[in-house]
Amino acid sequence: MQLSVVTQPGESDGGVPHGARLIAFTDAVQGSDDEAVARERTALRSVVSPEAFVDVCALIASFNVVDRVADATGIPLDPMLYAMSGDIREELQLARFRSAGNTPGAR
Amino acid sequence: MALPVNDPDYGEAPVPVREELKAAHRFLLEHVRAPGTWWTGEERVAIAAASRGAPNCGLCQARKESLSAGAIGGRHRASGGLREEVVDAVHRIRTDPGRLSKPWFDEVIAGGIAEGPYVEMVGVTALVAGLDYFARALGIPPFPLPAPLPGEPSRYRPAAAKPEGAWVPMITPENAAGPEADLYGEAAIIPNIMRALSLVPSEVRALRRAAETHYVPVEQISDPTVRRALDRPQMELVAARVSALNECFY
Repeated sequence: MQLSVVTQPGESDGGVPHGARLIAFTDAVQGSDDEAVARERTALRSVVSPEAFVDVCALIASFNVVDRVADATGIPLDPMLYAMSGDIREELQLARFRSAGNTPGAR
Repeated sequence: MALPVNDPDYGEAPVPVREELKAAHRFLLEHVRAPGTWWTGEERVAIAAASRGAPNCGLCQARKESLSAGAIGGRHRASGGLREEVVDAVHRIRTDPGRLSKPWFDEVIAGGIAEGPYVEMVGVTALVAGLDYFARALGIPPFPLPAPLPGEPSRYRPAAAKPEGAWVPMITPENAAGPEADLYGEAAIIPNIMRALSLVPSEVRALRRAAETHYVPVEQISDPTVRRALDRPQMELVAARVSALNECFY
């Protein structure tokens, strides 16, 4: 996966099948434009199976839960994950997020 | 006797929803309406309503657009029966989680919401956000919030919950014993996200149920071969994009 598509999405799939469609749908759901959601839902459903579409909906739901739990409880990134994710954190510039301050040494 | 939660209505869904998810949604709605550890069922449903109403709150929208959320004063969209401090915290967690900070948390606690009630409030707020995002993504109306169940909160504080580097006390897997022996299941490694709500063990159990049905079971998270109808890179791309948009470092 080309990590840059996570923070700088464009036309590229980032090496993930239907990556651009998945990101466009995710962005629409996270936004406030209902017409955009409907449009991107139709576009995504034209390229993935019904079961996969439900998986996307479930994943968006799940990470909206865990992100809020993580940020509202101030948990630090687990030491093993922290040690393993240095390159990813740097490439995605995750230290700019305020919640990076919950992990010692991350900012 | 209170009636059970109505089955969530997926009638407008453009595709079939797997039974595992339907069962999880029923479980989560039952969980929300039941008396909790620190809040009554009525208060928990009010927290759920505040979470649901937050995206349409004018004050929250103004704060979201401001460089400093705390600099914008005013009143939140009304939420029945909850103290303003509770509504404020629920709305911030729902609408602007990426800008929460330790000073903000300390202010919330100093304002009279103790750690236990705070953790339970976080759990309810976040779970309802998840249910709402699922419905929005699928293209169906939000599930109706359930009628609260009567009863008193248990006020149970697990003795094993201790400061572990988060803002709130947590139970380590080594100390999850007695009533908490089931808390983390069989996973060899328990990430902090699964420990985060352990000051209120029932919220951990609900979070686990949500995670294992909407993503993958915690013991399988580190196995890259585990997938659903989406392949794993597709799953991780969606997960990472949501977290980037929420500005979540974790």
